[in-house]
Amino acid sequence: MPTRRNFLRGAGAATALVGVETVGSPLTAAALAGDETLRQPYARRVDARDKVRGAVQYGADHVPARLTHAVPVVATIGKGRVVEFDTTAAEAVPGVRLVLTRIPPGELRSAPFIMAGGFAVQGYQPMTSDRVAYRGQMIALVVADTLVAATEAAALVTARYETEPFAVTLDADGTETLLQATVIPRFPDTVMGDADAAYATSPVKLDATYDGPPQHAMPIELLASTVEWQGENLIVRESTQNANAVRHGVAYELGISADRVEVISPSAGGAFGQKNSFQMHLGPLALAARRVGRPVKLVVPRTQTFHAGSFRPASRQRIRLGADRSGRMLAAIHEIDAQTSRHDLFPMQYTELTGRMYDIPDFRGRHQLVRTDAQTPGYMRAPFEHIAAFALESSVDELAYKLGKDPVALRLANDAPTTDPISGHPFTSRHLAECLRRGADRFGWVDRRPGVGSMRAKDGTLIGWGVAVGAYKAATAPATAVLRAESLGRRRCRVTITVDGHEMGQGIRTAITNLITGNLGVATEDVVVVVGDTRGVPPQHSTAGSWGTATALPAIDAAMGKLREQLGLRPSGPIDLPAAMSGRAPVELQARTKAPGQPDDVWDRVAAGGAAGAGPEYPAFTSMSYIAHFVEVRIEPRIRRIRVPRVVSVADCGRVASPVTAVSQVRGGVIWGIGATLREGGEVDPRFGGFLSASLEDYALPVNADIGDIDVSLIDKPDPLLNSVGVKSLGEVSMVGVAPAIANAVWHATGRRVRRLPIRIEDVI
Amino acid sequence: MRPFAYTAARTLGQAVEALADGGPGTKVLAGGTTLYDLMKLRIENPPAVIDISRVSELTRIDTSGAELVIGAGARMADVAEHPVVRRDYPALSESLWRAASQQLRNMATVGGNLLQRTRCSYFRGGSAFPCNKREPGSGCSAIDGIDRHHALFGGSQSCIATYPGDWAVALLAFDAKLDVVGPKTRRTIALADLHVEPGSTPQREHTLAADEIIVRIRVPKTAAGRGSTYLKIRDRESYAFALTSAAVGLTIGRRGVIEQSRIALGGVATRPWRVPAAEQSLIGEQLTEATARRAGEVAFAGAKAGHHNGFRIELGIRTVTEALMIARTRATR
Repeated sequence: MPTRRNFLRGAGAATALVGVETVGSPLTAAALAGDETLRQPYARRVDARDKVRGAVQYGADHVPARLTHAVPVVATIGKGRVVEFDTTAAEAVPGVRLVLTRIPPGELRSAPFIMAGGFAVQGYQPMTSDRVAYRGQMIALVVADTLVAATEAAALVTARYETEPFAVTLDADGTETLLQATVIPRFPDTVMGDADAAYATSPVKLDATYDGPPQHAMPIELLASTVEWQGENLIVRESTQNANAVRHGVAYELGISADRVEVISPSAGGAFGQKNSFQMHLGPLALAARRVGRPVKLVVPRTQTFHAGSFRPASRQRIRLGADRSGRMLAAIHEIDAQTSRHDLFPMQYTELTGRMYDIPDFRGRHQLVRTDAQTPGYMRAPFEHIAAFALESSVDELAYKLGKDPVALRLANDAPTTDPISGHPFTSRHLAECLRRGADRFGWVDRRPGVGSMRAKDGTLIGWGVAVGAYKAATAPATAVLRAESLGRRRCRVTITVDGHEMGQGIRTAITNLITGNLGVATEDVVVVVGDTRGVPPQHSTAGSWGTATALPAIDAAMGKLREQLGLRPSGPIDLPAAMSGRAPVELQARTKAPGQPDDVWDRVAAGGAAGAGPEYPAFTSMSYIAHFVEVRIEPRIRRIRVPRVVSVADCGRVASPVTAVSQVRGGVIWGIGATLREGGEVDPRFGGFLSASLEDYALPVNADIGDIDVSLIDKPDPLLNSVGVKSLGEVSMVGVAPAIANAVWHATGRRVRRLPIRIEDVI
Repeated sequence: MRPFAYTAARTLGQAVEALADGGPGTKVLAGGTTLYDLMKLRIENPPAVIDISRVSELTRIDTSGAELVIGAGARMADVAEHPVVRRDYPALSESLWRAASQQLRNMATVGGNLLQRTRCSYFRGGSAFPCNKREPGSGCSAIDGIDRHHALFGGSQSCIATYPGDWAVALLAFDAKLDVVGPKTRRTIALADLHVEPGSTPQREHTLAADEIIVRIRVPKTAAGRGSTYLKIRDRESYAFALTSAAVGLTIGRRGVIEQSRIALGGVATRPWRVPAAEQSLIGEQLTEATARRAGEVAFAGAKAGHHNGFRIELGIRTVTEALMIARTRATR
């Protein structure tokens, strides 16, 4: 419909698209023009067939000879210490080889927390002391010939405890609140101008508090490792997105050289940040394998994952937003209290989003960490942005209603199209306005009636339409690519690429294969991609923060450039590698790339197993991905169940390296957003500590029947500055803004402004 | 899971005999979807189980007479999709469709389902949480805890755990009876007499003797069966236990006057919960939004809310209202 298509075109000040192309670009002109050789996306996942056949190897799939099985025993108190174990009954179970309780000093030391310069999901290694830091903490590990025997024996281990008071919720007595900028100086608060003064004098003011529950990443594949000693060397097969940290973490804990550890993780069945570092079960597992002299496999049971895995911390955000009567945002103050553990300071970055989502001149952020008796929280998909967007974008919706403005037009009018308000540097690319316009078009936003409760179906069902936007850093990490080209005859050439990267289901193999087939003219089936394996040259730095594609592809691109040069082929444009390689000896070469402006010593950090991601701020620019979500909710007149029959999402992730997996990523992010908004909430019973909702029954994820139509659209404009292939980030941005879009739709339908997640039936009845 | 003796019975006689001989704590295993689950959680620790899943005489479904006769060993999925059950008792069929998942319904039996145990997190959570049902005398963690899913009716100072099933709720609304056999007994009990409230003995959930087996379920055919529905409201659209549910049936005579009404509540009580006063409030009335709502209010008149479950009173009233409005379209068809 032309009226829809033209909707909002020319709506206010923000219609001009980004002009950063003038800044200068490492991207070739051919690529910017959409060079066909770089644009031959494979139509499906390269591993689709293997996945359907069950042929993909996951962390727990490897079954070495003489395998034994481990099962953890976990603490049943909220905090305290183990005074005494009774392992007699457990040891009497036939097939039990080892009941490992407290590990003697000197045998294992705690690997430091990844965000404190270390490798580990937390800086506290259970079982190296008598401490019980939180309910559900591992206190013993049983190894037996069969999983059944190990499970049975684990249940028979009893512990006598001395209990101590504990505090798990933000408001509990006994928590400790710390100003992040003071205790972690490298994570200062974002301050621009004088937000308090600008807010005080703003003609329109909004001031509200938003609560986010603890949420648990629940990838289908559980945390799992199989460890095997081969002489003095340790082979670890694990489902991870950070083989490098796993390798260095376990070496550190055991006090051996990392050269003696290899980590193999060809595929993970979902990771979502939970598998982004060394896990605390691995040190005791490696020790156990050494003691029993056999390979040992551990699959952390689902219920234990709620305390073994990192999680999205509980949070409380107060946001104050000041604007003038035209809707121009003048000031924002964003104050966050979020949960951390007693043993670690988990750095928060909520204002990375709120400080640069709009062109707000005066801004002040403040992060406070609240120490609680839980495992250390971590980076669950869009760790801060999902929650920050819930607060900010709910407030923006309120502002629109307060001023009688259209929520899309208000957002367009406050866009910060070219310059990052925080750094003052240009954005590498920002097509947020286009996301909003295209989304409004595809959704049919023009037909929205603004009045609360004004849209109803014939049967009285309330219809609410909501919009919200999101952003996420376009981060980059250092990567090494090793390329081997081997002629298979006149018409075929095998290209094997080994690169820093991990396949967690997001589709990195497909994205890499697309790049190689498009660039080198080889067939899909002749491309071999090796990721998540430390046995090659690339150290396997973590694949997290949505930087996987933007990290691996530029290194491969550089390697392909070297190959062309070495073979005397033209530097860009179509080539016929099989013909060029025909009759030649195999060629192997490597290239490495790092984030713009990263110092050379970053390679040392990576070699030592450390984290080396950079962004969104680079020396000369800031790079972010963007998304707009349009959501329809329907709420029945009597029962008031909240349903989401359709979502339209439009993302700007730079070049789309793999359309089929990119669209799938966004769809998955939206589904997660629906779950995180309407269902997922970790329950804490303050009398007992830990998480009460420690099962997939009590921690409700959506089912297929909860999900309606999700229309995904990608802007697909190459980023001209960030890297040579023009890609930004996608996995995490895809769920940012889903929560407020739903909350805003609920408001539109019911007039209820729900500021606590999850939004459930009791909130709207 | 502790070691246990396993016996597979081929006939009902063998099953009864094996159960009688099995000693204290011996359990009957049908679909295994609940028993094995609870054994893995170490809540059930039977020294022996008698597998009746191969007893073919228990799986028959006979709809030819004046009552539906459903063998206790029939699979939930088979009963749910049985054409006569769907036609004559949509509430029964729907109560099964809305339970569990297709995979579980393919395994679970309609007899075993009646004895499904509560999903209370504290009950299932293990020894860390005091629970009078699991460990008599240890206390109830739910009463001052996270009780969002706990009972509004039939609770005691010992226990407020919700009876989780759907099928029994629908059967209760339609006066189902159970044929039960033991080594020396052969009796018929009303479904209404199967489940008991926790009182001071929440570990005791039903009135079957330890050596008795449910053989079949009988449901009298009534016109209210055709005008029936089972409405289940939950936190997601599938694979979840009820926040509230209602099995209702109506017979509506000429001029739209309600002649018969059946209302039972699920997910809100310590046992399947029939509400005769609410049924009675509709007799002789026309079914309107107002009379339906009033019936819901009567149904929930005695509800006792805890800390986090009070919203389910209003939700339950609306569930009854909505269910009655659905039943009306079927009753007057």
